[in-house]
Amino acid sequence: MSVSSKNLWRFLCAAAAIVLTAAALNFVVDPLQLFRPARLLPAMYSADSRMQDAGLIRSQDFDTVFMGTSLAIHFRQSDIDRALGVRSLKLSMTGSNSREQGFVLTAAMERRPKRVIWQMDDWIFRDAPEIDSDIYVPADLYRRNIRGIGGYLFSGAMARESWWIAARAIPPLEPIVARLTNGVMFKFPISRVDDINALRPDFDVAGFYNANSAVAAFRRITDPARSHSIAEGYNYEAMVRGFERDAIALIESNPNVTFDIYFAPYSILHFVAMRDASPATLKMAYDLTAYAFPRLLQFPNVRLHDFRDVKEVTHDLGNYGDVIHHSPAIDLKILSWLAERKYVVARGAPLASLERLKAQIEAYKVQP
Amino acid sequence: MLFNSHSFIFLFLPVVLLGYFALGRRSNLAPVVWLALASLVFYAFGGGQFVPLLLVSIAFNYGVGYLLIARKLRPGLRFAVLTIGVAGDLTVLGIFKYAGFFVANLNALFATGFFVTIVLPVGISFYTFTQIAFLVDAYRGNVARYALPHYALFVTYFPHLIAGPILHHKDMIPQFERAETKRPDPHLILCGLIIFAIGLFKKTCLADGIQPLVAQAFGPNAPTFDQAWIGVLAYTFQLYFDFSGYSDMAIGISLMFGIILPLNFNSPYKATSVVDFWRRWHMTLSQFLRDYLYIPLGGNRHGRLLRYVNLMITMLLGGLWHGAAWTFVVWGALHGVYLCINHAWSNYGPKAPPRFARLADIAGLILTFLAVVIAWVFFRAPDMATALSVLSKMADPSNIAFGRVEMVYALFVAIYAALAWLAPNTQEIMGYDHENRSVGENLRAQRMRPLFLYATAAVLAFGILGIQQHSEFIYFRF
Repeated sequence: MSVSSKNLWRFLCAAAAIVLTAAALNFVVDPLQLFRPARLLPAMYSADSRMQDAGLIRSQDFDTVFMGTSLAIHFRQSDIDRALGVRSLKLSMTGSNSREQGFVLTAAMERRPKRVIWQMDDWIFRDAPEIDSDIYVPADLYRRNIRGIGGYLFSGAMARESWWIAARAIPPLEPIVARLTNGVMFKFPISRVDDINALRPDFDVAGFYNANSAVAAFRRITDPARSHSIAEGYNYEAMVRGFERDAIALIESNPNVTFDIYFAPYSILHFVAMRDASPATLKMAYDLTAYAFPRLLQFPNVRLHDFRDVKEVTHDLGNYGDVIHHSPAIDLKILSWLAERKYVVARGAPLASLERLKAQIEAYKVQP
Repeated sequence: MLFNSHSFIFLFLPVVLLGYFALGRRSNLAPVVWLALASLVFYAFGGGQFVPLLLVSIAFNYGVGYLLIARKLRPGLRFAVLTIGVAGDLTVLGIFKYAGFFVANLNALFATGFFVTIVLPVGISFYTFTQIAFLVDAYRGNVARYALPHYALFVTYFPHLIAGPILHHKDMIPQFERAETKRPDPHLILCGLIIFAIGLFKKTCLADGIQPLVAQAFGPNAPTFDQAWIGVLAYTFQLYFDFSGYSDMAIGISLMFGIILPLNFNSPYKATSVVDFWRRWHMTLSQFLRDYLYIPLGGNRHGRLLRYVNLMITMLLGGLWHGAAWTFVVWGALHGVYLCINHAWSNYGPKAPPRFARLADIAGLILTFLAVVIAWVFFRAPDMATALSVLSKMADPSNIAFGRVEMVYALFVAIYAALAWLAPNTQEIMGYDHENRSVGENLRAQRMRPLFLYATAAVLAFGILGIQQHSEFIYFRF
């Protein structure tokens, strides 16, 4: 064999050895806990829900799944468990659409939960790409097929996290590594599952959620230069399609699971912005409710809660960081309402809450 | 199909290599046909619907070339044939690339409501330019008659087809004709693998690694002064390592087939002037624009004033070649202005005394880099308003965030800058000499330590481990 041939083999073998070592490290450390719950090394978690959820579904014990968008991202699992007497798994994803939510929930159903708590709004049913074209969702990781598992094991980014998690488990290195684990350089900075996407204790809640922020957001989105964004994503036919495909199909195919579906308490300014800047969008939101509520209530395993007309919350702008996102105090209220079965939509009058909401929106006058 | 994909690295490339060398034992033509067919398959993965367009383009240009080379036409007719050929190429390119832009401007000017949606065929700019050069050279009498399979391979050759380098028939077709290239050469395969590894690492680990930082400037939120600079510098280095990585990978892949591609990239951020920058950045495009646009326009043969006009026209069209948008026109115009200033300074400005030459070079490097960075804002921005907004933030030091995130990001940018300025480039590491058709002589002569081999193997491994599911080359859009 010539020198060049020997060098070529050495080169290929060395490269293969390094790749396989990285894959072995990923398998042993298993940062996402896709193969097994963390036992060998302390668990660490990422705030990237779309990726992290694939591992949580596999590694956590739960009987209740909690799903939603950014409106349901700061809930703590411990609060959910305490308020509802369940063992929950929070899978909320910021900015998620119903296709993503339905896909993740379908994966979670394989673990046979008894209950799903699902925060919905009309915007999640906007037109969305196929799940395999959605660059944010590692769909094959959820499917646990060869591409997904291969992509996970042979990922350098994951090997870096594995290395980091392993280093953090070595006592003399722990304090230094812990200080560097800040989420900027390393993507698995959270050591308790309860803290995933929860607000830190030192977060300035009053500084973020207050009437000034809400009103400023209202002014921003109703500014004629930007108000077109209110209508973005709204297409009634597409929304009905998304609702049937992602929500109804999942409910229908899991008759033994109880679905607690709630429509979150937006600030009244959200609807008033639609009323003033894009009435056609408001009509679409009304129409979708008029379609969705009776449809959902056809299923005996659905309990529907509409919090959008809870005036003492939605009209108190101090509860909001903008026109839709509410404070952690409202998170707790929502849990208590769910526990008390308050604001449940009656099967006999599915549109009563919508009529109340309409009246509130029409009557509301924005302070100059 | 992307070079930085598992399917390409572990399936397509090995199969094509094995087939090429297996057929090379039997004949000199079969591997050429095999490689051309493989290139069409490669192209079809990126846009199967455009394969017929590519084939028609090859047939058209080969036919026009045949008339210019083989037929004894009178001069007037020869010129008419060339005109038809070039006009045909430019018409197709214009329809696919610029019709939407033209209609959008028409609508803006005259409040009309025309609507046109045309998908840009992948690589159309590259294979069109390649063939225009062929036709012009054929007209000039600089082309021997080529066999159709060799010509088709020259146009479709998959290492360059999507994003360059822009190849020259005189450089490539003789290589395709040589019998020696069809026999596996472990030395060339090893050198090709190492160069490919470096390119892959640049793409997957460096370019894709810094890409998220670009949102600091071009994301949904208005940036502060430091965020704007971090984002723009991140893009500056993302583009650099993305394009440099692609060029290395193309050269490395081709080398495994025994074909030596021209250099397209030579540490452009080490340039000490804008003229120098364009000799180092997208070198084959610069050569094309010089030989087939700037010189035919008159170059510097008609006085200094016209030279500047020609420079501006060349760079404006060069900008428009990169994309059908006003931002690209402004980017090209800016570089045209830079080049004019550079030439004017060379002609009329003071010369630095020899003892300050080093200092002048450093000053030139910094000034050139800043000028290029400013121009990249237009290259990256989706529209003029965004570009101007980002530039205004870069010029407003009163609004600074510089929190923990910005500090870490600034550190990242500094590391990338150090790599771009201080590290040797791939051709220096590998002794790649396109002119003399040599590469890796130190490796062959065992003058390199085994450590080099293992280090480059690690680079390949990290490059493979860095492959992400969703990644694309910036130059694919052109």
